Amino acid sequence: MSVTNFPAKPATLIEHLGQFIADTLTRCTRCGACFKACPMTGYAPGLPAADAQDVVAGVLGLLRQEAGTADALAWIEACTQSGRCSAACPEGINAMKMMRVARMSALGSLGAPRKIAPREEKGFFRRIGAFSQLQFSADEIEKWQR
Amino acid sequence: MSDKVTFWYGCNVVRHGDIIRAAIALLEAVGVEVTPAGGAGYCCGTAKDANLRAAEGMARRTVEKFNQHGHGAVVTWCPSCHRHMNGFMREYNDPQFSFAHITQILHQRRERLAARLTHRVERRAMLHQHFGFHEVDVNPLIVDLLKLVPGLELVVPDYAAPGHMCSALAPVPRALPDATRATCEAVRAAGADTVVTVFHSCQRLLCGLESTEPFHVVNYVSLLTAAMGIELPDEYKAWKNAGSEEKVMELIGAERIAAAGDRFFREAILPELMRRPQK
Repeated sequence: MSVTNFPAKPATLIEHLGQFIADTLTRCTRCGACFKACPMTGYAPGLPAADAQDVVAGVLGLLRQEAGTADALAWIEACTQSGRCSAACPEGINAMKMMRVARMSALGSLGAPRKIAPREEKGFFRRIGAFSQLQFSADEIEKWQR
Repeated sequence: MSDKVTFWYGCNVVRHGDIIRAAIALLEAVGVEVTPAGGAGYCCGTAKDANLRAAEGMARRTVEKFNQHGHGAVVTWCPSCHRHMNGFMREYNDPQFSFAHITQILHQRRERLAARLTHRVERRAMLHQHFGFHEVDVNPLIVDLLKLVPGLELVVPDYAAPGHMCSALAPVPRALPDATRATCEAVRAAGADTVVTVFHSCQRLLCGLESTEPFHVVNYVSLLTAAMGIELPDEYKAWKNAGSEEKVMELIGAERIAAAGDRFFREAILPELMRRPQK
């Protein structure tokens, strides 16, 4: 009888990301189908001519907290989460999530040095608060947003 | 899904109070009692990829608040929140609720909705679609819903933009102008007088086209509530197309500007409202 040990439910986001990375690195065959399916590669200089398997290898490097490659970083910057990559993966990997987690890594959130700039809008929550004041009554804000 | 739910509308949609009120009216029309929840206090944390400690804290707080609501069901509006709940938040939290997108609920109960859609909405409308929200195939659901609107001629173009909504395209150079231009070309080809947006960021980023293009930009929930006889003015669109800073401030009024903070309004809100769509 074979016994499969499934990982326990993670208690933290970092634990979850660790499990996801380990699973992705185990299952990905670097076939490049995800890259070839991407509708956004034309928006990054050099990417249309890049080798799909090399670009994916660079993304996997980022998941391992390695340096990655310029093409992998360019692909991550062009990603708009269209999800065509996930549908194309013959191994059933959530490639869109793989790209998102690689982005977290490239942002320096998983321990490796930061390689790309954050996109977070300055004053994001202040803007949300200001528009709430413009669009809602004090009663609605109190009941719906506290 | 139960008849009593948390309606989680998200953060950025607070620019569009009309969309939130229309969505609530539609859910109530199909027999769902809602506890609305949104804004910064219910943020999913999806914007915090560069600060995972903050992302985790926000997600955990939001899940705990939904658990405390005790409805056992959350209805989402925002595709980013839905995606983040589906792919991240529920993985390391203990959500005691199911969740579904509002289009799924309205579609499941569309017979009840149809009975309420008694006012004609005379428009030839083209659906502005994205193909990236693969968690829920919203486009065909919305087509079915809009087909219930009396008087509405709906055109579904071949074109669908990448990403799950327009804001996803904004950080990628040329991507949003390309999608905006393609949308305008599709409207012209369709001979439509209205572009129907699905998500709030598309409404936000496209509604400014009304200043220069011969069509209206309307969210699908506004068309559905109009068919119910409920007209909710799109104030954000009115501000966006006001034409001058003075007119914007006149429309909003000093009291609301003061509540938002005069200085922040001038430095951050007014420039957004004056920015034109690029194509």
